Amino acid sequence: MAKRNVDIVVIGGGAAALAAAIKAKEKGIENIVILERSEELGGILPQCIHTGFGLSYFKENLTGPEYISRFIKKAQDLQIEYKPDTMVLEITPEKEITAVNSVDGLLTLQAKAIVLAMGCRERTRGMLGIAGTRPAGILTAGTAQRLMDIEGYMPGAKVVILGSGDIGLIMARRFAMEGAEVEAVVEILPYPSGLDRNLVQCLEDFNIPLLLQHTVTSIRGSDRVEAVTVAKVDASGKPVQDTERIIECDTLILSVGLIPENELSQTADIALDSATGGPIVNEYMETSVQGIFACGNVVHVYDLVDHVTQAGEFAGESAARYVLNQLPPLTRKITLKAGDNVRSIVPQIIGGEEPATLYLRVKKPMRDVKVTIGNLTIPKRVVKPPEMVVVNLTRQAIEKLEKRDELKVSIEEKAKQ
Amino acid sequence: MKKKEARVITCIICPIGCKAKVTIKNGKISKIEDVECPRGEEYVAREIEAPVRDFFTTVRIKGANILVLPVRSTQPIPKDKMLDCALELANIVVDAPVEAGDVIVKNLLGLGVDIIATRDMDRAKER
Repeated sequence: MAKRNVDIVVIGGGAAALAAAIKAKEKGIENIVILERSEELGGILPQCIHTGFGLSYFKENLTGPEYISRFIKKAQDLQIEYKPDTMVLEITPEKEITAVNSVDGLLTLQAKAIVLAMGCRERTRGMLGIAGTRPAGILTAGTAQRLMDIEGYMPGAKVVILGSGDIGLIMARRFAMEGAEVEAVVEILPYPSGLDRNLVQCLEDFNIPLLLQHTVTSIRGSDRVEAVTVAKVDASGKPVQDTERIIECDTLILSVGLIPENELSQTADIALDSATGGPIVNEYMETSVQGIFACGNVVHVYDLVDHVTQAGEFAGESAARYVLNQLPPLTRKITLKAGDNVRSIVPQIIGGEEPATLYLRVKKPMRDVKVTIGNLTIPKRVVKPPEMVVVNLTRQAIEKLEKRDELKVSIEEKAKQ
Repeated sequence: MKKKEARVITCIICPIGCKAKVTIKNGKISKIEDVECPRGEEYVAREIEAPVRDFFTTVRIKGANILVLPVRSTQPIPKDKMLDCALELANIVVDAPVEAGDVIVKNLLGLGVDIIATRDMDRAKER
């Protein structure tokens, strides 16, 4: 089988992938191929028919399909090659890619650089260990969304939603708008996992109760879901005895977290971060394997697609510079370590020479805080787990930053004045 | 008789998420407290007086590869009209092909907004 040489291979065809491919092409790389598992480009966005996309990137309020079509059209205008219905099977650390589709059969590509943009997957019932039977009617929120907004099916009439992440909230509204009864959104944490705007517009608007510090302890039903048992949980998340109640329903929707999809990264021996579930990247969005870059939800799960696009552009530019021999290796590596109230940090490694943008996830909500990075402190009004905290390290800040092999990033309350 | 009512509105203009305390007397706002900025005050007042929402759903489509076409309203609509609009659009069936931006329903329920397609949808290839 002939091996084909390509400058940059982009794996995935969603928001991050398209931004990366477009940017690389604009930086002068001609020979780019996008490999996409699905039948069309766009990733998850074609099924996200709600508005709220593009507010920061385009300064416009777009739906998911509208947002992503701008990038699909641009990629087509730039004549970027893409292969849909193509499953990548393996990536080697030497950047050889094996893929398969029904047109080329088995396909081997030798890339100079690779951009990983495979996105993320939803956690399923099997990962939660909910007791009970295994009837029809238990779906992840994204599956329900695909059924309703692409396939045109109504998956249920009486719905309980477990998890208050944004997709769960958006599906609560979607079900309510289509005439289903949404009995409750059940959240194990003491605070909601979704954005304020979704709490207001998806739950309050439709009088859907949000049960904080509750969880689903069992599922009943033989062929189809008939009811779920919901109980209060204690501070450690364990169900409290004698607080159970039964909610009759025919559908249980799971919105219980997203996991970056990194099986391919592992075949390439890329080091992963246990906090994000994605590759460890430096400020160029380069992974532990030189010339392999990563962006979007495969690195860590974002809340706004606008940020995904920016990360994609950044990774695409880095990949282009790498191919053109214009990407100097970092002369120093400062590893950022999560301290107080920080769950994860991307990028995990910075050089400390050039400005960089850090994306942090916090563990718990806090007000009037300071973010400390080594000797630097940056004030923030509010930090919340559902919202990525963005910290811009300007040139001035980078010059002041102490240069050590390891720096701790913490979020603490500001001292009262 | 004077009627006094207190409501709490979560401001969604920025991530701070102020919880505004609104006092309403005889159906009119008399006081808005605990909001940090003028944009928030404006939002909270609108939420009480005439709340509007972005509106989006799907309509049936014939002749395409899939069964539903995503659509949205050109402008936000009154919050209390959302279900009426959804019911009205449940009756609509369009024919492929459709281009993003095509008007699917003009002046929906006399609200002065149009319903437009939010993606292109080609005709399915004949087999």
